[in-house]
Amino acid sequence: MEKEETVKLISSDGFEFIIDRKAAMVSQFLRNMLTSPGGFAETENGIVRFPEISTTILEKICQYFYWSRQYASGKETEFHIEPELTLELMMAANYLHT
Amino acid sequence: MGGVCSRKRGNQVNEDGVRTGVNRRYSKNGSSKWLLGTPFFRTTSGCQGEGGSCPSLMELCIHKTCQDIDKYRSFSVLPRDISQQIFDELVRSHCLTDVSLEAFRDCALEDICLGDYSGVDDSWIDVISSQGSSLLSVDLSGSDVTDSGLALLKSCSSLQALTFNYCDHISANGLRNFNGLSNLSSLSFRRSYAVTVEGMRAFSSLVNLLELDLERCSGVHGGFVYLKGLKKLKSLNIRYCKCVTDSDMEAISEFTNLRELQVSCSSITDAGVSYLKGLQNLVLLNLEGCQLSAACLDSISALVALSYLNLSRCGLSDHGFDKLSGLKNLKVFNLAFNNITYACLVHLKGLSNLETLNLDSCRIADEGLANLTGLLLLKHLELSDTEVGSNGLRYLTGLMNLESINLSFTLVTDAGLKKLSGLSSLKSLNLDARQITDIGLAALTSLAGLSHLDLFGARITDSGTQYLRCFKNLLSLEICGGGLTDAGVKNIKDLTSLTLLNLSQNCNLTDKTLELVSGLIALVSLNVSNSRITNDGLQHLKPLKNLRSLTLESCKVTAPEIKKLQSSALPNLASFRPE
Repeated sequence: MEKEETVKLISSDGFEFIIDRKAAMVSQFLRNMLTSPGGFAETENGIVRFPEISTTILEKICQYFYWSRQYASGKETEFHIEPELTLELMMAANYLHT
Repeated sequence: MGGVCSRKRGNQVNEDGVRTGVNRRYSKNGSSKWLLGTPFFRTTSGCQGEGGSCPSLMELCIHKTCQDIDKYRSFSVLPRDISQQIFDELVRSHCLTDVSLEAFRDCALEDICLGDYSGVDDSWIDVISSQGSSLLSVDLSGSDVTDSGLALLKSCSSLQALTFNYCDHISANGLRNFNGLSNLSSLSFRRSYAVTVEGMRAFSSLVNLLELDLERCSGVHGGFVYLKGLKKLKSLNIRYCKCVTDSDMEAISEFTNLRELQVSCSSITDAGVSYLKGLQNLVLLNLEGCQLSAACLDSISALVALSYLNLSRCGLSDHGFDKLSGLKNLKVFNLAFNNITYACLVHLKGLSNLETLNLDSCRIADEGLANLTGLLLLKHLELSDTEVGSNGLRYLTGLMNLESINLSFTLVTDAGLKKLSGLSSLKSLNLDARQITDIGLAALTSLAGLSHLDLFGARITDSGTQYLRCFKNLLSLEICGGGLTDAGVKNIKDLTSLTLLNLSQNCNLTDKTLELVSGLIALVSLNVSNSRITNDGLQHLKPLKNLRSLTLESCKVTAPEIKKLQSSALPNLASFRPE
């Protein structure tokens, strides 16, 4: 896979998630950041840091990105959310406009 | 419910006022027009399907939270807008209880919309008032809240909108608690026993009030003098306040900023209307159902800013309408159920901004419509129950902006309908009349933009249904003249935009019809009453996931079988018959 087709998302505890750029675009926040013409350093190098989002939550968010793309292509499965993650996940979703 | 709570509700009074006052929820043998708004003054109700779009992560989280609501003790760590979304979703899904409400203590919520929510009483107010100065709007309509509950809201000093419609346990004493809420801009107490003369005294300090709704309050007579200080008041609704008389109008004439005034079905006369002459900012005046005469038209002629005027059921005759020819800003004019003829319409010729004209049940015949030819902006024309016939329709051919025409119970025949065929803006057409047949329908096939077609009593047969294929955009269709069989329904099965379909009274329709309509997955309302449908046919309805109303009266269908269908396949089904 070519480099520019992926982006790297880094959690508050330094864990790195490398995901398809297309998947990241599910988030309105990331879409704006990755497509803005030359504004953000993130647009250039495809690395986004989330000092406020823990690894567990960021992993769940990445899962959602892929689930969402499957859903849009017609595979309507259920997205499982652990009750103990819900509040934190909501705050992250709010931030990411997702 | 949402509309009542929203702070941006400029349209509400208008929309309410435009309706003709009759509750049409169950018109015509259970045809569920209430799901789509009334046919003439159509509102945009949320009938669009869910669509296949992917739920956002936020929506999934909120849904999950609502499912496990018992697991949460407090949402106060969340940002306000998220807890607000959870709260709204709990209310929407009827899952909020006095117990789960506790989790919202101190969440800085802005809107508490619990109108018509069951179980709400004083014990809920403690958590509601804990939102403190964040709280902007509260709707507790239909609740058991009492005066002591109201006292707890005193501390919410930012409140802008309060709605306590149909709250029977509030007294005039309780209203005193609102004295200090000087930020209030909207207050609604429909059918309240609390709003007596004494109760209205408590409103006198609400100097920032813009909207006051006291519809159906029986004790307001004489109380308006206490509202003198409400100089900013823009909208006053006292519909169905029988106690309101001419002397109250004198007090109301002091609200010089008034834009909207609804006094329909009160006891005022011409003398009362004469006090309104000075209200030069008045844009909307609703006098429906007041017993008036020509003299009131003279007073109304002074209100040159009027764009909406409702004089239906006022007992008016042709006399005096020459006075209204100067109301050039008039856009909506309702004259329904008056004893008016050609001689009245002559004076409407110059009202060139008219967009809506309601002449329901007036004594208008063909020649009367000659006066409408210059009203080029006309969009909605109601001629139901008039003496208009085919010849009159020729006067409408130039009204290219016409979007809806109601010709039900007129004398119009098949031969006249071709005159409508060039009205390319038409979206809604009501031809509910026995003399209309397949031949008339054939003349209308050029009206490809039609979204609402009412052929309720028309004698449409299977062969006529072929013309329906031209109306690809139909959202609602009613054919109940008795002439359809399953073969005719074949021509309906591809009208996939349909959200409302009424095929009742066609007693030869069988289970095959349900099979044929099973592909109309946008359907919100379906009525096939008085037919040969049986319990065996119900299975075909399973794909109709958007169905909210199903009416199969006088069929061989039983309520338990519909209930089974509801619980296994139709989660949105809210109303069904037999029940």
